[in-house]
Amino acid sequence: MKRDLISMHDLTAEDIQLYLDTAARVETVSLKDRFQLLQGKIMASLFFEASTRTRLSFEAAMYRLGGNVIGFAEQAATSVSKGESFSDTIHTVESYSDVIVIRHPKEGTSRHASQISYLPVINAGDGTNQHPTQTLLDLYTIIKNFQKIEGLRIAFVGDLKYSRTVHSLLQALMKFRVNEFMLVSPDSLRLPEYLKRVETGFPVTFVETKDLEDAIPYADIIYMTRIQRERFPDQIEYEKVKDAFCLNAGMLKKAPEQLKVLHPLPRVNEIAPDVDDTPHAEYFRQAKNGLIMRQAILLNVFEVTI
Amino acid sequence: MSDKKIQMIPKIRSGIVIDHIPAGDGVHILEILERDPALKNVPITFGMNYQSNKLGAKDMLKIQKDDLCERTIQHISLVSPGVTIKRIRDFEVVEKVSVQPPHEMVNLLRCLNPGCITQNEPGLKTRFILTDPKKNLVTCVYCEREFSIHELSPIV
Repeated sequence: MKRDLISMHDLTAEDIQLYLDTAARVETVSLKDRFQLLQGKIMASLFFEASTRTRLSFEAAMYRLGGNVIGFAEQAATSVSKGESFSDTIHTVESYSDVIVIRHPKEGTSRHASQISYLPVINAGDGTNQHPTQTLLDLYTIIKNFQKIEGLRIAFVGDLKYSRTVHSLLQALMKFRVNEFMLVSPDSLRLPEYLKRVETGFPVTFVETKDLEDAIPYADIIYMTRIQRERFPDQIEYEKVKDAFCLNAGMLKKAPEQLKVLHPLPRVNEIAPDVDDTPHAEYFRQAKNGLIMRQAILLNVFEVTI
Repeated sequence: MSDKKIQMIPKIRSGIVIDHIPAGDGVHILEILERDPALKNVPITFGMNYQSNKLGAKDMLKIQKDDLCERTIQHISLVSPGVTIKRIRDFEVVEKVSVQPPHEMVNLLRCLNPGCITQNEPGLKTRFILTDPKKNLVTCVYCEREFSIHELSPIV
C-alpha cells in the first residue's frame, strides 16, 4: 500500500513517532551517504500556491537524498491556467514521477489527489485545512528542545481560525496527551469550535484570552502565527486585526528560562526583530528542522530505512 | 365507523409505508420522494399529525410501489433518522426496518465550505462520515469540516 501523508487525522502517535525517530537518524547520516538513498527517484513538486520554506526545503531534501525534482511554483505556469482539470494534471504528472508533493489553496485537494493517483501523495498545505509536514517539523523542534511533548504548556497566538499549521499541530499534540492549551486571538480569529471537539479519551482545557502578555508566564512554547491577509474574505476585517499581536524582546523579560517561541514563518510584524537575539527565539532553527523532517518524510514514503 | 378508522389513511394492497415520522418531517420526506424519477406517476398518500403513543404526533406516507431505491432511503434517513419503512404485501407487513443515516455518505450532501475541493472540481463526489450520530454531525472527508446534517443541502 502506498504511503500518503495527507492529514494528522490519519496518523497515530506511533506513526508520528516513526517520523520523529527517522528525522533524528537522518541527522546522524553523512551528506555523502544520504546522497545514495533516493538515487533515481523523481519528486513532482506541485505548488498551486506561493511558498518559500515548504517548497524549497522539500526540493532541497530530495536533492540531499540524491533524487531529482520536477514541478512548478505557481498555478499560472501550468495548463491549469488554460482550463485543465486538477485530476488531469495529476494523471499527467504521475507518469513522470515517483512521489507527488502538493500545495493548493482549496481544502481537500491532496486527499482527492491521493484517491486518484497510484503514487504516494504528500500534502504540503491545503487551504485552511492541514499542513502535516509543518506539524511534523514543529513536533521535531519541540522534541529537540524539551525531549518530550506530553505535559508541555503551549500557547497558540494570532490567526487561530484560518491557520492550517495551528489546526494540524493542535490535533497532533492531543495525540501526545497534551491536555491544556492557551489560545490567544482576536474574537474574529478564534479557533473554530469543531477543532475543540476532537475525541481524545481525556478532558482537554482551552484557556482563551485576547492578551498576549497572559501567555508569557504561562507557556513552555509560544506558537506565533501570521494574520493571513489572503485568507480574509473581507479586507476591512483584516485591517482591523492585522496588528493585533506583536511580541518583542521587552515582553520576554518576564518569560521563564525554558520558553521557546515558534513560528511557521513567514512573519510580518508579529515578532519584532529584537526577539531574534534572545535565547527564546527558535523559529529559524525550526525552519532548518524542516529540511531534516522532509528528508525523513521522503524516506518513509519510499520505505527506505536508515 | 369508529374514530380510529376515520383517522387512518386507507390500507394499500402492496407497497411501502413510511411510518413514525415526527410531525412536520413528512413534508420534507415527500420532497425527497418527488425528486425520485422512479416514483413519477406512482400513487402516494400523505397524512399529517396523527396521534402516536411514541411520538405524540406523527406523519405517515403510503407509496404504491414495491421498492424504494437505496439512495432515496438514505436521503430519508438524513432528514428524519429513525423513521420506520414497512414493506406491504397483500395488506400485510412483511418487513419493517428503522432507517438510520449511513456511516459514510457518498454524494448525498453538498459541502457547505466554499473552499472545499468538492465545490471546485467538476465531477468529484462528496463524501461525509457520520462523526456524531446522536447530534447528527458529519465531517467532510476532503476539507475535514464538521457540519450538522440539517445545514447541508442534498444532492439530487
